[in-house]
Amino acid sequence: MDLTKEQQSLLLDCMLEMGELLLDCGAEISRVEDTLNRIGKAYGANRTDVFVIPALLSITLNFPITEPVTETRRVRSNGNTDFYRLEKLNAISRRCVKEPMALDELRASLDHIAAGKKPFPTVLLGSIIGAGGFAVFFGGSLWDGLVAAVFAVGICLLQDQLGRTQLNTVAFNLLSSLLTGLGVGLVTALVPALHMDKILIGDIMLLIPGLAMTNAIRNMLVGDTISGATRLAETLVWAAALAGGTMVALAIVAAIG
Amino acid sequence: MKEIVIQLLSAFAGGFGFALIFGMRRRYLFFASLGALLGWGVYLLTDSLLDSYFLPPLFAAAFAVTYAELMARVLKTPATLFVIPAIIPLVPGGSLFYTMSYAVRGDAEGARLSGIQTLESALAIAFGISLVLALRELRTKK
Repeated sequence: MDLTKEQQSLLLDCMLEMGELLLDCGAEISRVEDTLNRIGKAYGANRTDVFVIPALLSITLNFPITEPVTETRRVRSNGNTDFYRLEKLNAISRRCVKEPMALDELRASLDHIAAGKKPFPTVLLGSIIGAGGFAVFFGGSLWDGLVAAVFAVGICLLQDQLGRTQLNTVAFNLLSSLLTGLGVGLVTALVPALHMDKILIGDIMLLIPGLAMTNAIRNMLVGDTISGATRLAETLVWAAALAGGTMVALAIVAAIG
Repeated sequence: MKEIVIQLLSAFAGGFGFALIFGMRRRYLFFASLGALLGWGVYLLTDSLLDSYFLPPLFAAAFAVTYAELMARVLKTPATLFVIPAIIPLVPGGSLFYTMSYAVRGDAEGARLSGIQTLESALAIAFGISLVLALRELRTKK
């Protein structure tokens, strides 16, 4: 298939959009590069150069006869995993590799995926079950699990509200762990039968960048060293913010109690 | 024994919760949560057999990836979907918390020990996953 100059730049645009969405959903770097390479090939490029790090996408397409087209995009993703969109993106890329769809159709389906976020009630329910489950998992009583579940609602609402502002992940982790620590400290001071540590661990599991950290190390082990290193540094700062907020809360609770 | 059952069931619940948070489709939810339960079972088993902080999470993560690859083949979805809920119980949230808690109380030795344990588990999970993925890639040709 031969693309005109306009179609080439539209394709490039679609590929950038797709790469950004994949990164935003938590796809591994190697998967993003692999997907974009295949799509470039499927649409007739004789050479596709893709470079991806968590903060930047760069794609250059070489077509026969015409000059190469290239574009870069700055990406601001916070490492949120979203299987819902990830699966849809996978389906689209598989379809394109098999039988390239018309470019405006591709554009429309990407826009559709970009607009469709995970439903909030599902995330809320997941946070409640997740925090409650892990409070019990780490040795808490059923009551500890219930209190952790209640605070999970708070964290989830905070995430939803602050997600609409410009607040970055570091500030968010600092703030939410401080508030959660103070709240749990207060409740456990009033009801001594509860275990503050177990409840806090359950809630911290919601904020901990454990997965992002594991993914970062994985990136490095498969050869994406730059991406792995920047992600790892990022997650360490996030974890430090989490630890900082919790430590301040624990220190305040200890000073009062 | 009762403790083990509680841990396995709450690992299932935790995995289920996170699968929901990550927006997993309903029909995969059960198998994703089952992965968390089985992965933790492997952890408990290897932990009782081996005297190490490093090896149990490594084996459990390796198992989780193998399970995910299997499920991905049966249900025809990307394996990542099943890896992530399965390794969630292995994430060292507990030891990270105790590291901070020791640090606040001024117990430097305690903080150091559980800090090292936290890092060791994170590394072990990553190694376990990469080991299985590397073995798989050995079989696929360029």
